[in-house]
Amino acid sequence: MTGLIIKSIIIGLLGGGAIAAGAARMFHSPESQAMGAFRTLGELNACKGDPIAHFSFGMGFFFNAAAAAVATGALTQDVFHRIVPNFAAGALLLKNKSVEETLYDPSKMIVTGAISGAVVVTFLNTLASVIPEQLSLIAKEILSPAASLMINPVMPIIFWLAALDAGKKTGVWATILGGTGQMIMGNAVPGLVLGILIGQSIEEKGFNKAVKVMLGIIIALFVIIAYFRGFFAKLGL
Amino acid sequence: METTNKNLKALLLANKTFPLLMALACAAIFAGTHLYIVYGTGAFNEIFVVQMLDEGLATGDYAAAAGFATGFLLARILEGPLVGILDIGGSLMTGVGIGIPAMLLAAGITAPLDNFGLSLLTGAGIGIALGLLIIAVRKAMPEGLSASGTDVMMGAGNKTGRFLGPLIIISAIQFSIPAGIGAFVGAAIAYSKDRPIAGGAILGAMLLAGVFAFM
Repeated sequence: MTGLIIKSIIIGLLGGGAIAAGAARMFHSPESQAMGAFRTLGELNACKGDPIAHFSFGMGFFFNAAAAAVATGALTQDVFHRIVPNFAAGALLLKNKSVEETLYDPSKMIVTGAISGAVVVTFLNTLASVIPEQLSLIAKEILSPAASLMINPVMPIIFWLAALDAGKKTGVWATILGGTGQMIMGNAVPGLVLGILIGQSIEEKGFNKAVKVMLGIIIALFVIIAYFRGFFAKLGL
Repeated sequence: METTNKNLKALLLANKTFPLLMALACAAIFAGTHLYIVYGTGAFNEIFVVQMLDEGLATGDYAAAAGFATGFLLARILEGPLVGILDIGGSLMTGVGIGIPAMLLAAGITAPLDNFGLSLLTGAGIGIALGLLIIAVRKAMPEGLSASGTDVMMGAGNKTGRFLGPLIIISAIQFSIPAGIGAFVGAAIAYSKDRPIAGGAILGAMLLAGVFAFM
């Protein structure tokens, strides 16, 4: 047991710190290469820098993760996608309400992220069974459908409409690449994002060499992803 | 003190520190899989993905886990530098946490997963390599692309957050009447106090549904 606790603390410190700093970098993307997810960015924004909102959102998924940990030993992806970033942000916002000085600052998020990570991972690996099963079930049944609706179709639609509002070329490119993305990757958002990038570049700078190179990369990317996700096999190729 | 903080912030935002953050994150996630194999708890992934690894551990056939997870890893590693945000779910938690261990175990290499220290080191090594690869892809990306595409994307990213509150209320109402009432009353109170309604909806739903569950 002691071994498990010490290892959990180390894992939580390292992973929590890095992921929280990566989440802070999302607010400086694309200049800073970030790690997180578009949905994490959206959810962090949904809490608008209110510590109670960040904590309750993280806590809901924490109950859900506890249920999975007790049942199977899988802590769910939400530990690093949602629980740690929101706890880390909430802890900082208790003292300072300005998101620019807290949530957007990786040098602060890395600290509270590491602490949150250590606490959350250790708790889930040792004490998860003390959370009543009904409470975990309620959290799971309410949050999981909401989160999956958010990922598909709400986020694709919002990105799609944003692309359509950004001009004819952007709308056309985003629609083609978004549709391809939905077909190949199961979600349109990555394709829409690339379509917006390409469309806006063509709109402002014309069909230049950079756009052609980028298009080449995107087509290659889609073919590779299609192969690895078994899309060609589905077509019978 | 203020200047050290600013320097640290700038350093942590620089792209040269990205591989370092990747190393820490991958070390933790890879070691989480070590915990799962040794103690039966601690894998950073969804139940169904971990089950694929389980099948491999039980039967010795890791094809399902390796195929599924490395597909995600490759897709996300290529997409990350293009869009500016690396999706850690597919790339790190599934790819590095499940796919690479499955490949190692299939090849009969068990040491990095049996030993905690080695698992941290292996994870860190993988993280640095992937981080460098991502930064290299970024550098290779052609100049001359418009930056205004990013504004469109960020605007959309910010808008998605607003949908969460109503979605939680709808989902709570579908779950049960107490949860539903708790959710919209909580959201209304939160809104009247200028707070995000998502937080109020979750708190209200959990509170009322919890009270009814234990009555």
